[in-house]
Amino acid sequence: AVPLSPQAFPLRSLRRRQPTLLVACGPAQNGAVGLVCARHLRSFDYEPTIFYPKRSPDPLHRDFTTQCEKMDIPFLSYLPTEVQLINDAYNAVVDAVLGAEGTQGTEGTEPCAAILATLRHVRIPIVSLDVPSGWAAGPLGGSGDISPDVLVSLAAPKEVARRFRGRRHFLAGRFVPEELRRKFGLSPPEYPGSDCVVAL
Amino acid sequence: QEEAQAIDQELFTEYKFSVDQLMELAGLSCATAIAKAYPPSSFTTSQPAVLVVCGPGNNGGDGLVCARHLKMFGYQPTVYYPKRPSKPLFEGLTTQCKKMDIPFLPEFPAEAEFIDELYGLVVDAIFGFSFTGAVREPFGSILSTLERVTVPIASIDIPSGWDVEKGKADGLQPDMLISLTAPKKAAMHFTGRYHFLGGRFVPPALQEKYSLNLPEYPGTDCVLQLT
Repeated sequence: AVPLSPQAFPLRSLRRRQPTLLVACGPAQNGAVGLVCARHLRSFDYEPTIFYPKRSPDPLHRDFTTQCEKMDIPFLSYLPTEVQLINDAYNAVVDAVLGAEGTQGTEGTEPCAAILATLRHVRIPIVSLDVPSGWAAGPLGGSGDISPDVLVSLAAPKEVARRFRGRRHFLAGRFVPEELRRKFGLSPPEYPGSDCVVAL
Repeated sequence: QEEAQAIDQELFTEYKFSVDQLMELAGLSCATAIAKAYPPSSFTTSQPAVLVVCGPGNNGGDGLVCARHLKMFGYQPTVYYPKRPSKPLFEGLTTQCKKMDIPFLPEFPAEAEFIDELYGLVVDAIFGFSFTGAVREPFGSILSTLERVTVPIASIDIPSGWDVEKGKADGLQPDMLISLTAPKKAAMHFTGRYHFLGGRFVPPALQEKYSLNLPEYPGTDCVLQLT
């Protein structure tokens, strides 16, 4: 379970009256994390809506989808290309599209390419899970990439996180055993107390 | 007891939660509640040493998850797990603990005094809400020893050996109870200092269907202190 940190957007700080969030989920692992995140957001009293155009056949991911559906989380059948509609309807977008999986070329495949094209133009904050979608494909820089407001690195920050210039960077996924951290030369993260998220 | 079992069934069959998912969230809640009530700095033993006693079923599984998270939170858990189901879920949880250098005792401390010396807290993860009938060995002896322990005991879901609805006046009297999903009837007989609610995964529709009337969890916390 990877609950997203609503520390970045506490319920009372959201501009719209309803705490609506759009969760864009890609076809693989990053998308599955997005589904779990949406479910926890719902139990935290946010109102997530999911856009999950290309569904993973993995039984675990299918179960995550069922769990969300049974919690009355709506699934959009299409993503408006009119960006203003998204800006008006939601307080923020959770980017769980490609994460660390995007390699050279995949960000260009549908439907991820279309999602990213739209996300590049939204004015509401974007929260990226693990790696901003499209960044893993290599430095495009400039206007080509999405610019998330918040990055939630999972387990450990990835190389591309160095380019992150947004407002808040969190580390989550407090499950890496010490032995493994040492083996990979990861510095020990300072999670406060029993929190599963830490601001970097 | 029947309601608790019915809710569980629905979570698995209708909502398609896996046992792994719910057990992970349950175990994490237990570790979090323990960290709130007994922070490492509060231990009088030189290290924040915790003995986690795991039973033969899902309550034991919750204990294994709890032990793992306690280790991540800076405690020094030790597990006693005498009866292990040969199912991948429990084998996996055991491996995860062992790979995190959590020791598994080959035998249970013979005297309550030994436990009081070595550990600052005992986690009772022996029997849960599905428990019925007589207590089989080795758990009868274990519970007798635990009843004489003076360090605090934190029970997961139901104090082990208690009737799930009526309690057990001459049984284990834990200092802490972590009720999972919703408090069971037995919780009315709980006289310890800390009662927490954990297992924050019951969808609103299910809460309504069973009229759980759960109080609100604070913010994004996975536990709620009831007393």
